Amino acid sequence: MSFREKSAWVMGAIMLATGVFYAQLVAGAPQAPVIGPLIPYVLAVIVLSIVAQAGLAIASPKEADAPADERERAVIDRAGNWSGMVLGFGVVSAIIMYIGGWTATMLVHAIVGALIVSTVAEYALQIYFFRKAV
Amino acid sequence: MGKRPPITNRVRELREEHDRMSQAALGEAVGVTRHTIIAIEQGRYSPSLETAFRIARLFGVGVEDVFGWEGE
Repeated sequence: MSFREKSAWVMGAIMLATGVFYAQLVAGAPQAPVIGPLIPYVLAVIVLSIVAQAGLAIASPKEADAPADERERAVIDRAGNWSGMVLGFGVVSAIIMYIGGWTATMLVHAIVGALIVSTVAEYALQIYFFRKAV
Repeated sequence: MGKRPPITNRVRELREEHDRMSQAALGEAVGVTRHTIIAIEQGRYSPSLETAFRIARLFGVGVEDVFGWEGE
């Protein structure tokens, strides 16, 4: 397994776990100010990402230091393209729901949720393209 | 990206002929990862023209001696 595929597995797992954490925080107080669940979520993502990436870099320093090659760039670009569509669909859906009567708080949570889902999708697609398609 | 490209190659054969050069050594010499060399050898990935030329020049042959069109 290449360094970038390992990184995609780890980051995908982190985004999934922190996404569940965020959903639990929001479910616990749905109408509370947005900043409440957002700060612990962002901190959790930053801390876990730094720890995970540092661990991967220590385990494979040479690969971590090397830039992505042409195939890896193609995989990352393709996965980013598809996940952007997921994000767009989520944001547009959230805006439609807001027009239909959602509160601004629900709109923000839905947009953050779309961002989380699209990021998880991006890493999942990277793994798929690394293994199967490219 | 999903379909197997219709391009054949002799990369593995040429590696064997050149002192059994490792995939990692070839990758390093032409600027790609070992996993990309594996994907090229398995026919899952068609390299860029630049990488194709780098591989061919490294082995001292022409690009058409390394890569071909399926069925030809």
